[in-house]
Amino acid sequence: MKKTILFLSLIAVCGGVFAQAKKTTSATVAFDATTPTDALPKAENKTVIAEIDTKSGQIGFEAAVKNFSFTNPTIQEHFNSERWLNSTQYPAFTFMGKINDVSKYNFAKNGTYNVTVTGLLTVKDKSNTVTTPATIVVKNGALVANASFSIVLADYGVSVGNSGKIAGEPKITVAAELK
Amino acid sequence: MEATKKNGWSWGKKILVAFVVLFLLGGAGFWYIMNEEFADTSSAKAAYTVNAMDLIQEFQQGDSAANKKYAEQIVTVNGRITEIETADTTANIKFTDTLTGSYVIFDFQAQHANDAKALKVGDSVSLKGSCSGSIYSQLRKAHMISFKRAAINN
Repeated sequence: MKKTILFLSLIAVCGGVFAQAKKTTSATVAFDATTPTDALPKAENKTVIAEIDTKSGQIGFEAAVKNFSFTNPTIQEHFNSERWLNSTQYPAFTFMGKINDVSKYNFAKNGTYNVTVTGLLTVKDKSNTVTTPATIVVKNGALVANASFSIVLADYGVSVGNSGKIAGEPKITVAAELK
Repeated sequence: MEATKKNGWSWGKKILVAFVVLFLLGGAGFWYIMNEEFADTSSAKAAYTVNAMDLIQEFQQGDSAANKKYAEQIVTVNGRITEIETADTTANIKFTDTLTGSYVIFDFQAQHANDAKALKVGDSVSLKGSCSGSIYSQLRKAHMISFKRAAINN
């Protein structure tokens, strides 16, 4: 009897955890390092892996660096080059964090939730803490998450030089529909 | 001065003209590079044509060799669509190996975005795109092989 109760409890707990995880492999991350003298250094990646556990607040993002798509072939080549993101050696960007004070929000209910997210952004094997406001819209069990923040490229070992053609603090925009 | 008058242009003028020509050529080259855009993938020639499940297997067996072979190459991939996911205002097409969870995913080129929306899960299709290689996802415990600027291979 005890074993049966334990087994049923485990199923209930595991089922509960998995039921809370919302996922997609098609989140969008846009990178905008344009300046008044150069409108080209911007790109987006629409195949970003994203997961949000609405119960624990755990958040994870993984992006293939090479899948950032630029309009200009030369700028895309520079972006992936050794001097910049060195995508052959460091093929992924990751963000692992959590929704702060997640117990304050009831993501089981439809609505718009303005949250704050804190986590570690890793680029070229260098990790820095990022804290950003984000909006999560819940509709019939699906989540639409949006966030926008800036990063300092020098913090990730990326030097943009003094030409003024590339912003040293590009804007990162994240959009994800998770089910 | 006499010699200069006989030949028409002085050396100074010749050097100045050469500099102007070089400057114009350099400017034209720079303008071309800065305004160049990727060609329409539907008209690009594929370096490789593969079956989706074979491609996944190749990356699983040795992703560094496969990355070296396919990254930044135009590749045609044939397979049966397992999933269509909303990606912002467009849709991504996926071929997934149900045994391992590894998958190939295509982000369509802007001018072909509507073609992706017209596809359905279960359709057998031939897609062409610029291969971005693979990463091993710690979240999904599987390989993701991604393509950008994709189009239907007609």
